[in-house]
Amino acid sequence: MEFAFTLEQEALRSEVQQFIAENVTDEILAELEDTGIRRRGPRTREMYHKIAERGWIGMSWPREYGGQDGSRIDQYIVEEEFARIGITVGGAGSGGPAILAAGTEEQKEEFIPGIIRGEISFALGFTEPQAGADLAGLQCRAVRDGDEYVINGQKMYTTAAHYATHIYLMARTDPDAPRHRGISIFLIPMDTPGITVRPLWTIQNNPPAPLGTTYGDGRTNETFFENVRVPASCMLGEENQGWYVGAMGLNLDRVGASRYLISIQRDEDIVNWVKENDIEGYGMRADPTVRDRLADMWIEGQVCRLMTLRSMSIVESDGTFTYEGSAEKVFAPEHGVRTTETIAQILGPYGQLLNGSEDAIADGVFAHNLMGAFQSGINHGSVQVMRDQVARRGLGMPRV
Amino acid sequence: MNVLPAEEELMVKNAAREFLDAECPPSLARAVEQDERGYSLELWEKMASLGWFGISLPEAYGGGGLPVTYLGLIIEECGRAIAPVPIHSTATASLAVARFGSSEQQADILPRVARGELIMTWAVQEQDPRLRADAIRCRGEVDGDHLVITGIKHFVDNFSAAELMVMAVRTAAPGADNAGVTLAIVPTNAAGISETRLTTLAKDSQSKLELDGVRVPLGNVIGEVNQGWPATQSMLDTGTALLCAQIVGAARKDAEMAIEYAKNRVAFGRPIAGFQSIQHLCADMVVWCDGAQLLTYEALWKIDEGLPYAVEVSQAKAFTNDKCQATVRSSQQIHGGIGFMMEFDLHLWYRRVTAWTMRMGTSFEHRARVAGALLDQPGKVRLGMNLEPVS
Repeated sequence: MEFAFTLEQEALRSEVQQFIAENVTDEILAELEDTGIRRRGPRTREMYHKIAERGWIGMSWPREYGGQDGSRIDQYIVEEEFARIGITVGGAGSGGPAILAAGTEEQKEEFIPGIIRGEISFALGFTEPQAGADLAGLQCRAVRDGDEYVINGQKMYTTAAHYATHIYLMARTDPDAPRHRGISIFLIPMDTPGITVRPLWTIQNNPPAPLGTTYGDGRTNETFFENVRVPASCMLGEENQGWYVGAMGLNLDRVGASRYLISIQRDEDIVNWVKENDIEGYGMRADPTVRDRLADMWIEGQVCRLMTLRSMSIVESDGTFTYEGSAEKVFAPEHGVRTTETIAQILGPYGQLLNGSEDAIADGVFAHNLMGAFQSGINHGSVQVMRDQVARRGLGMPRV
Repeated sequence: MNVLPAEEELMVKNAAREFLDAECPPSLARAVEQDERGYSLELWEKMASLGWFGISLPEAYGGGGLPVTYLGLIIEECGRAIAPVPIHSTATASLAVARFGSSEQQADILPRVARGELIMTWAVQEQDPRLRADAIRCRGEVDGDHLVITGIKHFVDNFSAAELMVMAVRTAAPGADNAGVTLAIVPTNAAGISETRLTTLAKDSQSKLELDGVRVPLGNVIGEVNQGWPATQSMLDTGTALLCAQIVGAARKDAEMAIEYAKNRVAFGRPIAGFQSIQHLCADMVVWCDGAQLLTYEALWKIDEGLPYAVEVSQAKAFTNDKCQATVRSSQQIHGGIGFMMEFDLHLWYRRVTAWTMRMGTSFEHRARVAGALLDQPGKVRLGMNLEPVS
């Protein structure tokens, strides 16, 4: 066991921190803090190109497609530092890793360099109105017609759909096969005729959540497919194998730097806030209950960190996950909720004040987190589904 | 960075598990609960022949010279098997001698520990059981070339089995930097010690000692008179990390027994392992044990690396206390009535894990230390940084 990063890895972290200190200007911060723009602002995009020039996007990806053949740990370090200021550099969420794992040569050449340059991004088209946790019940249909597929259906919570270039779509290609064996994955340009995106406003919409809030997005979408014709070459992996292709991407989506950070940033925020601030007359820093609760949450945060490092260690040593990723996806989101609710009880009525309110603490981030932290236990596999997986895959307990 | 145990570490751990599976059935722990000796001499001697007690002691003194993580993995397996041997107290005290003792003390003590010929323990706590310098009131006075000790030492583990204790006494009024504490090696058979055996939840061997003018040569002092607190703190922290390993091993085994039981126990027409309420509880138990294990390994690793480790030790103990307790309690819940029948083995683990959560620092004490490190010194904090404790 070896819990420290190497000197080279620490040097990389310092280099990224220095890059951020030198390049993240007030204008970029203003873009990132604007929930309507975030990382899509012109100055932020310009900086993104500089990040790509440094070779920091998709670092662990193969050099032949524009990556660095670097270690997954290096990539994690870079991801963590950028995620702390709200910039995602991991490479299109589930899309990149799944394309590298299951894509054809043409698909890798078509997508990976573009992802690295920041020109291609994916919305995730998995969930449907009647298929959430029970994803294998999805009904969106893709019917083969010559060299094309014709797609009809509806996807829910396609969060990035209004700005992504592509959608990573799961659709049913064989309605007669057993549920998991009639599903395929497609990589479809969002400007394909027949695709309509409609906004769904979340409870974070107004006022806008401050930067760093767990699930602070004010908008997600529903996306409709009406006789959308795409070439058969849009399919990722084999026909009807989409369930298994999708699982490859999802495992990597559930663990890693951004999952870790959305679970633990409030631990750091509240300790650092209490060190510098107080509510007049409270004496918060000396209060024994506050101290005990903060230490408790800090320790849980350390467990989140170590579970993340465990997942990275498994990935880096080419091991396979049995239950470890699911375990992390149980503990970390629920920790995020516990710490958020603990902070609410420490701050009392100040804990309810949203961004922009008189007397709001830290731009209302703790209040907004009360609307976001629990989403982490729902999105990308609910904690109940994750517990099922720990019990069944990890402990060999029977299906209900 | 690779937080998974390395191949060599797994080899030692697996070898320990195989040995204990064969040599240490639960009936042994049960029998020792009724035995005045308080440990299994036969098992102790077999373990000694495998070199376990010296595995992390210096090679110059007959040890294996391996990092303390190896000893931690062995003690984790001893916890798993609830092995009734005084390995934890011997390790805690002997590592303190290895780190802070004079070369004479080391030459006298460590080879005998490595050969399994010397059982040791530590004696720090008193009526106020908190692990802090100002709770040490047992008096030590220098009289010529002797230290004369008078007072109480409480909750002394394996006193009756041990030959030597590493004891913290107060030789001067509490001062700045926790001065005034002296750490010394005290024979358990010294004149002036009277022992009262305690009846404990784990039915293990702990004692309350009254010391009345106990004389030990000044050569038995570890380090300098009045300057013993840092060494005492280090001994406690190392012992606490090793105790966490022992608790994690026992709690994980306890969880596995519940999972196995659930797969076989039929109710409402099916094995109860098929019910989600049971599955999710079992999933939580494993997640809790994983968290405690990761924190414990990091603490042990930091001790080896010479990095600050006090905060990591306290993190590990606070979490281990709470979550391993929750694990063994949940295991009792899954077992239902049979789980608390004397003839069924589960309680052997439950009682030990529960008792160990109260030893070497409560959750409250350890969280207070973490809180001090977080809140009582300047600068921003970030998870993963090296944090020094505030004394």
